[in-house]
Amino acid sequence: MRFFDPHIHMSSRTTDDYQNMAAAGIRAVIEPAFWMGQPRTNVGSFIDYFASLVGWERFRASQFGIAHYCTIGVNSKEANNEGLAREALELLPQFALKEGVVAIGEIGYDEMTPAEEWVYQHQLQFAVDHDMVVMVHTPHRDKKNGVLRSIDVAREVGVPMEKLVIDHNNEETVQSVLDAGAWAAFTIYPNTKMGSERMTEIVRQYGPERIIVDSSADWGVSDPLSVPKTAHLMQERGIDQAAIELTCWQNALDAYAQSGQIDVEELLKAPVIDQSQRFSENSVLRGQQPRIDEPVKN
Amino acid sequence: MTEPPNTLLEELLLPRLDDKAQKFWHNARTELAAGCNKSRFAALIALASRYCKRRPLDVSHIERERISTAIPGLTLDEWNLLELLRVALICGRNDLTSAQFAEDYEAQFVYADEGETCALYRALPFLPAGERFAWRAGDGCRTNMLSVFHAIALDSPYPAKHFDDTAWHQLVMKTLFLELPVWRIVGLDERRSAELNRMALDYAEERESAGRSLPIGLWLCFTEHDKNRLTALVERHWHSATAQDRKAIVFGLVRSGLHSQVHTLATSESDAGVAHVIDHTLGGQTQQIHFARLVTD
Repeated sequence: MRFFDPHIHMSSRTTDDYQNMAAAGIRAVIEPAFWMGQPRTNVGSFIDYFASLVGWERFRASQFGIAHYCTIGVNSKEANNEGLAREALELLPQFALKEGVVAIGEIGYDEMTPAEEWVYQHQLQFAVDHDMVVMVHTPHRDKKNGVLRSIDVAREVGVPMEKLVIDHNNEETVQSVLDAGAWAAFTIYPNTKMGSERMTEIVRQYGPERIIVDSSADWGVSDPLSVPKTAHLMQERGIDQAAIELTCWQNALDAYAQSGQIDVEELLKAPVIDQSQRFSENSVLRGQQPRIDEPVKN
Repeated sequence: MTEPPNTLLEELLLPRLDDKAQKFWHNARTELAAGCNKSRFAALIALASRYCKRRPLDVSHIERERISTAIPGLTLDEWNLLELLRVALICGRNDLTSAQFAEDYEAQFVYADEGETCALYRALPFLPAGERFAWRAGDGCRTNMLSVFHAIALDSPYPAKHFDDTAWHQLVMKTLFLELPVWRIVGLDERRSAELNRMALDYAEERESAGRSLPIGLWLCFTEHDKNRLTALVERHWHSATAQDRKAIVFGLVRSGLHSQVHTLATSESDAGVAHVIDHTLGGQTQQIHFARLVTD
């Protein structure tokens, strides 16, 4: 099986992860711009980070036969540093229109402050002006309200619902997102978000349409193999193969290919490691069976 | 130059663009010719990716001839279509010799993605007063991205023309280190030196100590400056070397003026291919282009 992890912060991950992901069948990833685990102190830090998402990290992924796309945006946490956020927003035109930038994101709310709302709206407007997809991070606290507000504000600004991906959903929010006509993404992240078993039941209950599974693996305790592991569990639990393919590959591709920034024809080719792009001494493991351990616990 | 680079670039480009991309190109060319500011220049380079994909150029024989006539040493065989469009956009500016262009071009590197960075460097051989960007190109060689290094170092006459000795030696050594095809560094034949010879000999010994094989292109880097060390190196390798490696060693020896050693080795050589290379190198076919055929045939 091939997998698309449409939300994973690879800058925080090691080459071991890339090797294991490739071996497990992950063929494409999206790395959304987020914070670094601690607040940035100056705009230069945003510049170098955005540049690394479209530069070095893209190259690093290619060495493992993994297509790397990204989203560009000013995250909700750092939106609260208003002066810095304004400076960072001025960088959007420099980075958001690059090749392989599939959305504005991850943007949205953290504490639902006025500063967050202003930065969110500003970026939604940028997305509308440039006909872009939007990836929304929904808050950990007061989630349900945050999801509803994220959708309402996006709609007010004029984002078409088919270009809106609401991420970090759970059982309590999925119906509202699907009803709105947006894409509902789920983060399989131990402890704080969703587990593989709950995800399986959601797909059973709601079906695969517009549902996307991702890992959001980052610098926290998280698992870059969440997507293949969840797919494996869904298989075990008798979910249709077609539904697994939709939620772990095709839906993400359909949602983000609307950007025009995924060369689908190229992506669908069998992965080939470009010999000019190998590591100096290492070859990359290919063609193995997916490495599947335990599904992520609830 | 027999024809201006802009004409050449456009003539290579147009037959490869679909209608939508042609329209983008024509509009952009008009805009650039009229003069546009730095951010619009950046936007055009970025937006090019919406009209062209990274597809091989499949350069024809006739095109290859035209390119090397216009800019000796340059080959575009490994460029992709998006890179060609971007280089044409860069060269489409009406002020390439100005300080403003230099400033705008330099500024692009701050925000460039991987593909743009490659294209910016691929434009170097087309830019007038190329010495203005020698530091930039040298800095580019410090990259960890092989694609970027490749775009600067190989198939381009720029480094040999503009790099100082330090940058040049680093470029050659890094090409070896990355196991990229050294024979595609344009001007290697002419810019070998005593210092590069020493570095290459040191590197050979470092690889031997580590129990690693020698990259085949290493043999192209030697000169007549330290015949004793080179002879000793050959003696350590010849008997266990593959036929392909023996061919490369022969190049190294002849290029370093060690013809007599080659004559000696020839007496016991049983491989017809190696014997053939010995004849040709002793007959004067010792250049990197000859070596390239050896590797690609």
